[in-house]
Amino acid sequence: MDREPPQRSRRRTVLKAGLAVGAAQLAGPFIISARGEEPVKIGLDNPLTGTYAAVGKNELIGCQYAVEQINAKGGILGRHVELLVEDSTSGDSSTAVQKARKLIDRDKVNFLVGNVNSALAVAMAGVAYEKGVFMMDPGGHTDAITGTGCHWNVFRICNTTQTEANAVAGTLVKDYGKKFYYITPDYAFGHTLEAGMIKAVAALGGTRVGGALTPLGTTDFSSYLIAAEAAKPDVIIFLVQGDDQVNALKQAVQFGLEKRVHLAGAQGELEPLEGLPPEARIGTWVFEWYWNQPGVPHVAEFVAAIKKKTGRVPTARTWFGFAGTWSCALAANGAKSLEAVKMAKFLQGYHLPPEVALMPDGAYFRAGQNQLIGDLYVGNAQAHGSAPDDLFKVTKVVKGTDVAGTLEETGCKMTWPA
Amino acid sequence: MTQLILFNVFNGLIVGAFYALMALGLSLILNLSGVINFAHGGFLAIGGYLAYALIPFVGFWGALLIAPFLTAFLGLIVERLLIRRLYGRDPLYSLLLTFGLAYIFEDSTRFIWGAQSVPFQVPDWLMQPLSSHYFFLTGYRLFMVLLVAAAVAALFLILTRSRLGIRIRAGTLDLETVSVLGVNVRILRTLNFGLGIYLAGLAGVLAAGMLGLSPTIGTSLIMPSFVAIIVGGLGSLPGTLLGGLLIGVASGITTVFAPSATEAIIYVMMGLVLLIRPRGLLGEEGRVQ
Repeated sequence: MDREPPQRSRRRTVLKAGLAVGAAQLAGPFIISARGEEPVKIGLDNPLTGTYAAVGKNELIGCQYAVEQINAKGGILGRHVELLVEDSTSGDSSTAVQKARKLIDRDKVNFLVGNVNSALAVAMAGVAYEKGVFMMDPGGHTDAITGTGCHWNVFRICNTTQTEANAVAGTLVKDYGKKFYYITPDYAFGHTLEAGMIKAVAALGGTRVGGALTPLGTTDFSSYLIAAEAAKPDVIIFLVQGDDQVNALKQAVQFGLEKRVHLAGAQGELEPLEGLPPEARIGTWVFEWYWNQPGVPHVAEFVAAIKKKTGRVPTARTWFGFAGTWSCALAANGAKSLEAVKMAKFLQGYHLPPEVALMPDGAYFRAGQNQLIGDLYVGNAQAHGSAPDDLFKVTKVVKGTDVAGTLEETGCKMTWPA
Repeated sequence: MTQLILFNVFNGLIVGAFYALMALGLSLILNLSGVINFAHGGFLAIGGYLAYALIPFVGFWGALLIAPFLTAFLGLIVERLLIRRLYGRDPLYSLLLTFGLAYIFEDSTRFIWGAQSVPFQVPDWLMQPLSSHYFFLTGYRLFMVLLVAAAVAALFLILTRSRLGIRIRAGTLDLETVSVLGVNVRILRTLNFGLGIYLAGLAGVLAAGMLGLSPTIGTSLIMPSFVAIIVGGLGSLPGTLLGGLLIGVASGITTVFAPSATEAIIYVMMGLVLLIRPRGLLGEEGRVQ
């Protein structure tokens, strides 16, 4: 028998529905490989759903490939390595923290890895520090992680936002003008990246003529673009990432803004470029790793292996996951221990081997900060390149040591356990 | 400043028209069947992806024509197999079902087409701004508004002139009586659900041309649609249309003064409407239109 519920209760139900959206899933971890009596466990707590699903997936692929290589080369301290994967979501720090605690307390992981979202990475670092577990942040960029909020046990592969800003600011001011407008994601990463850009541009005589903070997951950027155009800048800086960047660039090009003002960003990635139609692949960006590096040792093998595995070229995210996971193994094997303090001490000033660094000038963990310092790649997005996946033209390789600032400038003051 | 506000009002109407299209489908289903279709965003994404898959074979226009029908067909299957079983029960049952379906749809699109955005191309001539002064008014956006207007007009014609539409409206008022009068309520609900999902599919194709097409496209568009329904008035289709346009304009104007509050403003509006006029702007207390 059909019976219509009264409208009042339906309205309440609609409202209750909103509450349900926040409900986090707490399913068991998805174990990628499980071999051996007492495997060494690496717990990846990274986005598999939401805005950062695509980049999170690529970091996962990098981690998986590293684990395969590590196991093929004898594992960690002779033991097999197991990768446990949890979906942290793209923006819910309480879920990321719950998953981190679960990985540490229940699954007893030896290493905690994550997170693409800076705010979630900061939250996870807090848990790792409290528990004294070795943590590797492959792709969360906000400065605090290896800056004012640094911890002795938390290491990072990707660059600080200030380093990225310093790398690209010179080219932008020199070639395109001094008035900048910022479209910035409204959370930790965006705030520090914008602050970094303002500082780097100001040092070269550039100014901020306006900006808009946009919520993570914004789809419609038209009103922000109207405001940006009204401010008459020389350059519009897109600091939004992932799907947000795709949405923003696609709309900017539909409005023909690229014909009036230069479009650029402090952090470019291959994933959004692949999601854009050719005409929207434009602007000046800084990449943190790129697959097309002719002549750099071991890069071609890495690219071929990932292509064989996934059918696509690796992105910077794939390399973040790869280098991050390998760094965990190198730390343990180098320290001959799984004790976090010994591993962390071993990595101070440690230079990654070329087959992991995959950069012309190599990469090392700066002592006293736990930040990997490598090369950065400044260039332009391109509609078509030498291959279907070649969507970025590198115009300048910048050495990380030249743009990372000094250790004092990072504000990192590390306290080691007694 | 005045020009900036006017631009944003105009732009807000364009964005709002799109929200309204999505919300109308939701509202149709909610009014007749009492189902809060949380999977509406999932159907929207599927509409976009189906069009993306069809474009190489039938071009953009062919995809725009076919994809919404395919989405509606999928909607009919879902209704027949799953949603039908929950009619007459507490709306929370269907809410939970569609909530789960939303996840399944999102992950299915991710599984088939990948987690990354895919490049969805519309004809070049549609992508140009119509004038350099009103640069935000592109051929595509104008076309979208016209299509939304045509879809809304067609929907209202169907609801007021056709036998099916009159029965849907009567069923919205009192389904039991309509059933007693000999109308096959099951088929009525199925067709109504299909019509709602057709609108979701159409919105999906239009959104894919304007935004990046990724598995989360529906999730990010569903909340403004719910807000449009609540602001406009539950049970009122004109209200839903008004709600969509209002939240579009409100978030556009907010960009001028407080860019970071553009998302928050629509929830503030919802809160205010619920406090001052809980039945929504055009909703009638105690009954649905």
